[in-house]
Amino acid sequence: MNGGSIPLSRLYHYGNHMKDIYTHLIENAAVLMLYLDHHGKIALCNKQAESTIGLKHADIVGRNWLEVLFRDTNNIMKRDMFKAVLDDALTYKRTRDFACHLLGNHGNLRLISWNITPILDINNQLQGSILFGQDITEIQERENSIKKIDDSLKNIISSINEYALYVINLNSLITYFGMGCETMFGYSKSEIIFKHVSILHNLNKAGPELDMILECVRLFGKYESEIDLFTKAGVVIPVRLTVNQFLDAFGKLTGFIFIAKDITQTKKLEYQVFQAEKLAALGQLSAGMAHEINNPLFVISGRLEILKQEELTPKLKETINLIDAQTNRIRKLVDRILKFARKSTLTLETVDINEIIELALPLVNHNISPSVKVEIKKSFEKNMPKISADADQLEEVFLNIIINAYHAMPDGGVIKITTRNFQDLYAQIQITDTGVGIPAADFKNIFMPFFSTKGQGTGLGLSICHNIIKNHNGSIELESQVNQGTTFTIKLPFI
Amino acid sequence: MLYKILVVDDEAPVRDLLGDLFKKEDCLPVSCGSGEEALTILEKETFDVVLLDIKLPGISGLEVLKEIRQKYTDLPVVMITGFGFDEELIVKSKQLGCCGYIGKNMPVAQIIVTFMQFVKEAKERGSAS
Repeated sequence: MNGGSIPLSRLYHYGNHMKDIYTHLIENAAVLMLYLDHHGKIALCNKQAESTIGLKHADIVGRNWLEVLFRDTNNIMKRDMFKAVLDDALTYKRTRDFACHLLGNHGNLRLISWNITPILDINNQLQGSILFGQDITEIQERENSIKKIDDSLKNIISSINEYALYVINLNSLITYFGMGCETMFGYSKSEIIFKHVSILHNLNKAGPELDMILECVRLFGKYESEIDLFTKAGVVIPVRLTVNQFLDAFGKLTGFIFIAKDITQTKKLEYQVFQAEKLAALGQLSAGMAHEINNPLFVISGRLEILKQEELTPKLKETINLIDAQTNRIRKLVDRILKFARKSTLTLETVDINEIIELALPLVNHNISPSVKVEIKKSFEKNMPKISADADQLEEVFLNIIINAYHAMPDGGVIKITTRNFQDLYAQIQITDTGVGIPAADFKNIFMPFFSTKGQGTGLGLSICHNIIKNHNGSIELESQVNQGTTFTIKLPFI
Repeated sequence: MLYKILVVDDEAPVRDLLGDLFKKEDCLPVSCGSGEEALTILEKETFDVVLLDIKLPGISGLEVLKEIRQKYTDLPVVMITGFGFDEELIVKSKQLGCCGYIGKNMPVAQIIVTFMQFVKEAKERGSAS
């Protein structure tokens, strides 16, 4: 026997075997298969087609394909379109695709993606056509629901302004800039897309900061921390930043998703609580300290008092008077400390804030140098609602702030005092000077006890003001620019 | 002798100073360093007035005041403290029945004058009733 030749009987057998396999494949394939003759009648159909169409083999074979597939008369337009596509495939002898619904075996509509292949004989003459159909109803439903989720997510992201969502590619260029981003950062989409993401970070440390963030995401899959980002105008926004990997359908890393939550308000509240706690602790410490100083001070002053009644040389008398004066100085300081530390009880009465300011103004003259020329401009809201307050304590607050304003203007200037009714909710009092101003770095310490920008101040005045206003459920804030002036804004709730 | 005064303060220099100042006013001061000691002394001796420090080791000045008020109804007590004029302490002391409150941060001469005034008023109230 020659190597490689196959006996004819075996070939015949082999051919029959292959035919069986093909028949089996067609019959049991998970796709719909229909063979149409050149008149459009269905000559063959497989089990999947019978099952999906919902008719028996005998009710399908021999009938026109349009009658079988489009029993649903509401679908005439689709039927005509499908017919046109089939005619095109047959006329031009080419494969065409078409998707349409057909009425399924349980009366429900199924979405089928069809592929039409013309069958030609050896002379290139049209014999008929094969229709392969794949039921894509579930796939389409899945895609629709994913799209719906995607759309809702997009809507949610667009509508939440305290969040900003943006995406960068592997070269750190911004490829997606959500709606929240424009509000938070002040850049429009068109001006920031394909810009390097470092534009949103602190320029001095953007490189190392971003490297660290992205390395962290690569290693641990996620980065989460509080950092400062920057707006187009250069304003710092404290954010809670979450960065995740952006993977494609195959799980390959294609970029990074950044979600930044603006935590300015949270930070502000945290700072206020921290300040309040710090002040309370300082108050306690100061009270204890003042008590410990008062006892020996009392002994020193008392002994001095007794000494003064003795026969003394003029030199000794002078020395004792000096010690007495210095002791008095310490006593006054300790009194101020105790005043700051004390949780004074308020003597509340119904008061007019404008009247309290008017009463405080003449007292200022006792505390300032008459040579400094300062103009006071008042702009008081008429018919201001009354507030419930301790008039003496509020008078002390205004006196303190106005004296500070004088001290801030050694060469003279203007003090503007305005009162305003803010929506019947609270009285807003603003005291503005045109003095030396306070450096931004000192803002956070300005209400702390013992902090003073003045050479001879005790640094207790503003901390006492802060405590008084806080005890009245109000707030006190300042704005200042060096060499331009300072504005203190006090808000006190109406009754 | 004008008054016999029990001076209660935990600091010896303060006690000595007050003793010397009261002697100058023709008073008889007796001093001790704690509330417990004061209550023991009061059981044995009679006084015209007690000058009582608020911050004491052991039982506090306010607790001593409470006890004195229960046992010696008419004995005037003046409170003294290094905390100065603390409204909360003043109110508490008044509620417990002291006849005066003095801050050690006052000028010394004024402390003695004020103390004498408190005692005088208390005595007058006592004799009136």
